[in-house]
Amino acid sequence: MKILVAEDDKVSLRILEKNISGWGFDVDLAGNGEEALRMLRGGDVRLAILDWMMPGMNGIEICRSVRQEGGPKYVYIIMLTSRDRGQDIVEGLEAGADDYMSKPVNFLELRARIQTGRRVVELEDKLLESNRMLKDLASRDNLTSLWNRANVFQFLEEDLIRGRRESRPVSAIMIDVDNFKRINDTHGHLAGDVVLIQIAKRLERGVRPYDKVGRYGGDEMLIVLPGCGFAEVTAIGERLRKSISGEKMRTPAGDCEVTVTLGCSSSELVPDATAETLVQASDAALYKGKSMGRDCVVVGV
Amino acid sequence: MERTPIDVADALARVGDDREFLKELLEIYDEDLTARVAGLREALAGNDLKAVEQLGHAIKGSSANLSLPFLRDRAAAIELAGKKGDAATALANLARLEKEFQKLRDHLRGNPL
Repeated sequence: MKILVAEDDKVSLRILEKNISGWGFDVDLAGNGEEALRMLRGGDVRLAILDWMMPGMNGIEICRSVRQEGGPKYVYIIMLTSRDRGQDIVEGLEAGADDYMSKPVNFLELRARIQTGRRVVELEDKLLESNRMLKDLASRDNLTSLWNRANVFQFLEEDLIRGRRESRPVSAIMIDVDNFKRINDTHGHLAGDVVLIQIAKRLERGVRPYDKVGRYGGDEMLIVLPGCGFAEVTAIGERLRKSISGEKMRTPAGDCEVTVTLGCSSSELVPDATAETLVQASDAALYKGKSMGRDCVVVGV
Repeated sequence: MERTPIDVADALARVGDDREFLKELLEIYDEDLTARVAGLREALAGNDLKAVEQLGHAIKGSSANLSLPFLRDRAAAIELAGKKGDAATALANLARLEKEFQKLRDHLRGNPL
């Protein structure tokens, strides 16, 4: 963990540096307030020890600026004040300091307080990480790990808005597994699940890195393809179809031949396309494909 | 018996009994105080009592850090005089601070760490 020490007194600064680096921390030094704020904005400092009185910008002003600006990660701030300045403590804490110590610094105490700060910072990091994981988990389909319906639909809306602004087309492909009920009936639901997982993997492998694959319903998947016109979407659809039918799927109940039907639509073919109308057009194309005998790609308007 | 300008045992306790380090700090202090004394003279000549208060405060802090009680007291008096806008008291204490500074140098020369 990187610690910033801001102190205009060279003796104090050297003592602080020697002790804190002796405890195994990475120490950055600032000799005045402006320098300290600049280093805090740099982003890798997680704990700051700020002297209250510094020429130019003092500790309290730095504290206020840091809290106002927010920054990507929380910085734990310990203020150093003189023993005879009791009123500073209240003002310091109100400005957003987490802790304060009076000078001259007792180093056993400083070490303990840095440990407290470290715990807070690490807790905050864990919280952010688990928030990120939960958010990701909530946006994904449990079985296939594809984006869930709400998210893939939202991607489509966002890409359409961006596409309109940049005058680039957006395409959507709706995919339905052919005779999925028969797979379940013949091989069991477990095999059905495995088939869905494998289809999801093959689809993700077959699309471009910036396309989004979502599970739209039971055995329906939706792919959003930004910057992709109807000529291209047909080619991609065909490639995806082959990636499914081309190789048998291994399930616990034995190998199983699976095919899918794909309905494609593009904002180039649907006037004033919205996420709803694009999905409808893909759906209509999909059902046309089903009636044409399945295992095919149909582009709808 | 003459009073000693530095409480060596106290100062050493604060730096983990590291004599070399204390020596280094006293060198930094010497250099720093020389500059600050000049700064105080300049501030008093320009009647900048805000700067007098700040410099007094700074000297007080580093003196306390190195267990230099008499220099600390003079610096505290300068800080207070600066705060009150009392240039005459600040000047008188600056003269006494310089004497204390000389005593510290003499003492350290006679009693190396």
